[in-house]
Amino acid sequence: MRSTARRTAAVLGVVALLATACAVEDDGDGEAAEDGGTEEPGGDSDEIAFDVGVTEEPCPDAVNPDNGCIYLGVLSDLSEGPFAPVAVPITAGQEAFWARVNEAGGIGGFDVDIATYTRDTLYDPQQHSARYREIEPNILALAQTLGTPTTAAILADMDADNVIGAPASWWSGWAFDDSDQGLILESGYSYCIEAQVGLDWFAANVSEPATVLAVGYPGDYGGDSAAGVEQWAEANGAQFAGFIETAPNTIVGSQDAAVGAVMESGADAVVLAVGPAETGEIIGKTVVSGFGGQFLGSVPTWNPALLESAAAGAILSTYTNIAPWEGIDGTSAAHDAIRESLDGGVPENDGYIFGWVWSYPIKAALEAAAENGDLTREGLRSVVDGLEVDYEDALPPATFGADTNENAIRQAVINRPDEEGTLGLSTVEAEVTGETAEAYEYTSACS
Amino acid sequence: MIGTAVLQLRGRVRGRPVLYTSYAADQAILDTPAKRWWTAALVIVVLALPFLLSRDLTSLMMTVFIYAIGGIGLNLVTGYAGQVSLGHAFFMGLGAYTAAVLGGVETDQVLGFGLDMAIWLPMAGIVPALVGLAVAPLAARVRGLYLAILTLGLVFIGEHIFKEARQITGGAGVGRAPAEPVLFGMDLRATYHAFGYILPRDAMLYFVFFAIFMVLAVAARNLARSKLGRAFAAVRDRDIAAAVMGVPLQRTKTLAFTISSFYAGIAGALLVVVIGQMTPGNWNLFLSIEFLAVILIGGIATISGSIMGAAFVVLMPRLVAELAGSVPFISTAPGSGFLTVFHVQTMLFGALIVLFLVLEPRGLYGLWVRVRNYWKAWPFSY
Repeated sequence: MRSTARRTAAVLGVVALLATACAVEDDGDGEAAEDGGTEEPGGDSDEIAFDVGVTEEPCPDAVNPDNGCIYLGVLSDLSEGPFAPVAVPITAGQEAFWARVNEAGGIGGFDVDIATYTRDTLYDPQQHSARYREIEPNILALAQTLGTPTTAAILADMDADNVIGAPASWWSGWAFDDSDQGLILESGYSYCIEAQVGLDWFAANVSEPATVLAVGYPGDYGGDSAAGVEQWAEANGAQFAGFIETAPNTIVGSQDAAVGAVMESGADAVVLAVGPAETGEIIGKTVVSGFGGQFLGSVPTWNPALLESAAAGAILSTYTNIAPWEGIDGTSAAHDAIRESLDGGVPENDGYIFGWVWSYPIKAALEAAAENGDLTREGLRSVVDGLEVDYEDALPPATFGADTNENAIRQAVINRPDEEGTLGLSTVEAEVTGETAEAYEYTSACS
Repeated sequence: MIGTAVLQLRGRVRGRPVLYTSYAADQAILDTPAKRWWTAALVIVVLALPFLLSRDLTSLMMTVFIYAIGGIGLNLVTGYAGQVSLGHAFFMGLGAYTAAVLGGVETDQVLGFGLDMAIWLPMAGIVPALVGLAVAPLAARVRGLYLAILTLGLVFIGEHIFKEARQITGGAGVGRAPAEPVLFGMDLRATYHAFGYILPRDAMLYFVFFAIFMVLAVAARNLARSKLGRAFAAVRDRDIAAAVMGVPLQRTKTLAFTISSFYAGIAGALLVVVIGQMTPGNWNLFLSIEFLAVILIGGIATISGSIMGAAFVVLMPRLVAELAGSVPFISTAPGSGFLTVFHVQTMLFGALIVLFLVLEPRGLYGLWVRVRNYWKAWPFSY
């Protein structure tokens, strides 16, 4: 009698062992069957095959009620995280971009919707991963995934799900299949190239720096930029004074440590890869203390509000901004469309333009897949290799999947702060390249 | 005669529920049929969940198991042994990085040996346990608030070390991938089919996590009921009196830290397998406070309480997010509405910790005990 419990336990154990032994690894045939989402299992609409993330029903609030709907996901930092001030306009810029696409008739008979599956992830890999799993059964691809560690957290899942995405970051790793599994469709240069182009321009147009210093947030942003600065110093015989790591003011309180390090370094050119508030503080305090060098700021260091801060004078005299494409006053067709979408208004900051330009590769991929008649995940992923993207002149056309060293974008736009300029900057020179940047062996991620 | 002998073989006499006639029956964790049946039912429901829930909810359940393991560890040191520890996040980080180095993939930036889960999982517990062993003599010298500050220091030292040890952690901001969950050569993330039926994507991972959780929970429960557990309680209640009675203080406190760090290490290693990428900034004070919330809300010095608290802390934010659609003043999009979802979650978190401390110090477990006693005595409840 006592052994009944033992017998039950033994039987259960044997069943468990049998189940494990009989469990055979599946080679991915059955993946699409268990998504359990609300989509139709598949279908054809005008000969285009589709399954997950695409429906024949129109989008909510559709521009073209006769079109079906392609759902794209957005995983961004929309409220409490460190990049919310720029991420909210980025998302707004993307929505305007896709609204324009929809007004022009959509893609392949489908409108594109990004609002339904927009999720706020607070720049936290755990939230990013959880939200991705939440929206994955219902989306075809990701229109935006903000941040490098956050995207890296979901990359393995994206690979298994065949979900491609556009990043909201300029990490150098996105250009290499080793780092991104061919899933991430980046636009423009990387922070690494940015630093080199910026320093090349500086050496040619301001003065040749004998000592260069990098200040930034450790990791994909500041670390990538510092790797570029170090490269430049090595290639040009300048002295690399080091990478001063700092953090957002919300974490370290103030930039006094970085300011002290900058003063001690005696650098002629300091490349900043921090946030706007930190930029203002570093420049303001160092210049007031008699620092003689100049500052080159990465894309995210600028915010128009800096010209109203106490450091405005110092910024106007020592700061140069490097950007991947022109700002709101740009001359390309893309910029005309951006201004049109704003109806003569001005966005909060350049994030709006970032979001807009970042969306072109996804549009190109969707169009290519629609042309092939295959708007499934596999179909979309398969067009990435060799995909050609037309940025409507905001950037030179890009090709994905080709050799990065030959095809990477190595051009930037140099801006200077200008009280008269829209959003506080005016372009000094566009389509800037540099010797060192051109000669750089771009064969793997810089950091 | 024979009848009663047969009935007595199980150690209980039918119709006499409180009469135990064997040590085994007396000491059993599930000593009544009601407990046995309900536990079996709960286990069956939990095992069936991956087949019923969507993938993100299955991940959420796995996170519940992991938080429960971590919560049990913290309860052992803080609830049972009375040693306030804010350093739980540090030990979790240690466990996660040990696992990542032993079980992860090697890249240009980070180390990884690609070993099997059967190796990295125990080591993910043992290495933090050894560090806990090293820290414990310091901890044994101080009590209460000072111990809390000392363990808090561990968290900050840990954050700094993790940021600097780039080869192991990938550095701040970028981080690294966790260990690969390959158990005895079987890749737990792959899709399997058994008996002709295709299992959901993370089902195998879920079952393994559940098995690990059950083993650790039962072990902790037995530990709490053993001589060592009673020593913990004596040290918590009045450590000088315990020393006078012959409970070895230093040894008990050291064991408490060591065992709790073991649990924390395992929880940390498994947590990053679910999340997918870890940065040194993950292992911060807020994580320690989350686990304190788990045990305070769930029930201090109870294992079931830790599990209930973990379920609450992990599932509550999701519930708030789901309800945000229905409640008008909570917004999911930025800028609209009076409060965002995250504000509400954080507010609820803090409010519940305070409410539970004030109104029901025994936490959710205390609430459960009240409910159970009410129904046990019904219709003569009082």
